[in-house]
Amino acid sequence: MSKPKINKKKDNSTRVLLPAVIFVAAVTQVPFVVTIIFSFLKWNVKRPDLGIKFNGLKNFVDILTSKNFYIVLKNTLVIIVVCLILCTVFAILFGELFNRKFPGGYFFRTLFVMPYFAMDSVVGIVWKTLLLNPSMGLNYYICKFFGIQPIDFFGKHSLITVMILIIWQWAPFFFLIIIAGLQNIPDDVTESAKIDGANGIKRLVSIDIPIIKKHIVTAMTLGLINILKVFGLVYVTTQGGPGVSSANLPYLTYRTIFYDWSVGKAAAIAVITVVITLFITQKFFNATNKDE
Amino acid sequence: MRKRKIKHVLLCLLAIVVALIWVFPIIYMIISSFKTETDVVVPGIIFSPTIENYRAVLSDTFFKYLGNSILITLGTVIITVLLAVPAGYGIVFTPLKNPNSVYFWFVSTTFLPAIAVIIPVYLIFQKAGLVDNPIALIILYCGAGVPLMIWLVTNFFKEIPTEVVEAASLDGCNRLQAFWKIMIPLVRNGIFSAALLVFIITWNEFFFAVTVTYTEAATLPVYMSKYMTQQGYFWGKMCATGTLICIIPIILGFFTQKSLVKGLTSGSVKG
Repeated sequence: MSKPKINKKKDNSTRVLLPAVIFVAAVTQVPFVVTIIFSFLKWNVKRPDLGIKFNGLKNFVDILTSKNFYIVLKNTLVIIVVCLILCTVFAILFGELFNRKFPGGYFFRTLFVMPYFAMDSVVGIVWKTLLLNPSMGLNYYICKFFGIQPIDFFGKHSLITVMILIIWQWAPFFFLIIIAGLQNIPDDVTESAKIDGANGIKRLVSIDIPIIKKHIVTAMTLGLINILKVFGLVYVTTQGGPGVSSANLPYLTYRTIFYDWSVGKAAAIAVITVVITLFITQKFFNATNKDE
Repeated sequence: MRKRKIKHVLLCLLAIVVALIWVFPIIYMIISSFKTETDVVVPGIIFSPTIENYRAVLSDTFFKYLGNSILITLGTVIITVLLAVPAGYGIVFTPLKNPNSVYFWFVSTTFLPAIAVIIPVYLIFQKAGLVDNPIALIILYCGAGVPLMIWLVTNFFKEIPTEVVEAASLDGCNRLQAFWKIMIPLVRNGIFSAALLVFIITWNEFFFAVTVTYTEAATLPVYMSKYMTQQGYFWGKMCATGTLICIIPIILGFFTQKSLVKGLTSGSVKG
């Protein structure tokens, strides 16, 4: 970053950064440090008579030996892997599809990205009731038409349902970034490949994807960060259930603090979540930056 | 050549079909919002449209939540811009020892999950009597908005050509003049679209809203989530509410999508 500095003499202009640094530290970093401290306490907010006691590593031991935690951890990992892959695949395929000029093309492109901008609690409820409800929703009518039992989206298949909704909402976001990359590919590159006799799939794999690799990585990175945080869609559709079969780590933490009021345990889950988030992001960065 | 043309037309049709399938849940919600409560449970496009749902939904309660959403979202956007724009400028144009690490520090805070901060923040708000108060949500949303905004705005500042800045200082502009008269006009569109993005994210945010508010300061996502339980079977009214809530971010999204992509990719794609 070698921008020229105006008026270098007695420069205290870095002060302009202070308000933002102080504010962001106060609202994000300090509470996180406090959360780490809380994770070693035994403290139930609804039972002040029990007081606040130091609990050592017991919160962590309790969590790491509970069966539910591993179900939720597995759910979180499955959601991340499946959704990242499918969002990327859909975004590349639809990016190629929409990367052509036709009347109304931009309009239909905008329709496609709408789900990303729509409120997740609204679309979650609409999916849950109007579309997937097995007794009154579109699900019932479509299955009746084919003479089969309505699909039980919120029982046995609840995790798949959550993933469908995440992919539906986030694939448009991946698409926005990836199509920006596709539009940058010069026409003569595509033309000369066509003359060389490369068919669609071959052009996609050997020309387009290598050129837009950075866009794909950017979309996946931002998608990873955001899909790890998904909460609203789970809350309004399956509530993490049945049991914890469709809960992810943010939802489990929420439930521990606001249903059980167990500060120490919830803080410990939050800390574990952050560690896992950092671990996954780190691994992802290493994997994507390896060959550069 | 003719074969290629047919292929092109078919692919365009396929694109339209994909777009329509993808947006179908939203279109279906909008259509259903004009159906009576008896029509709404039956899929079909033959019905006599009614605005009765909208009339019923536009109640004092809805306007209270709408008011909260507008107040909190605008408050967040204004404070975020005031904090983030100087910081973005500072990262690029002031003699920081290590501008990149400051920049990545801000970017990395956006990775922090909300649940990592909510417990102590909630307890502090409870002590301070700020639970169910708009200020609580504005503080939390700014905590999320400022780093995101800095991420985007820094990239816009970096794109200002060096010559422009040099010329300004040769012309005798002082730092503040250069900032206001030269740089702000150049990055104005970028700031505007980043602010729109913060607006959309804040407007739609659910986790903080559902944790630190109950009724008085609750925003539209919380209002909507009540349809899950209490009024679960009034689908027509639910769809009307959903449509009203989603219109604003969808329209803003329409205008902001291009610059959103530019802001998010310029740092990482070129760098």
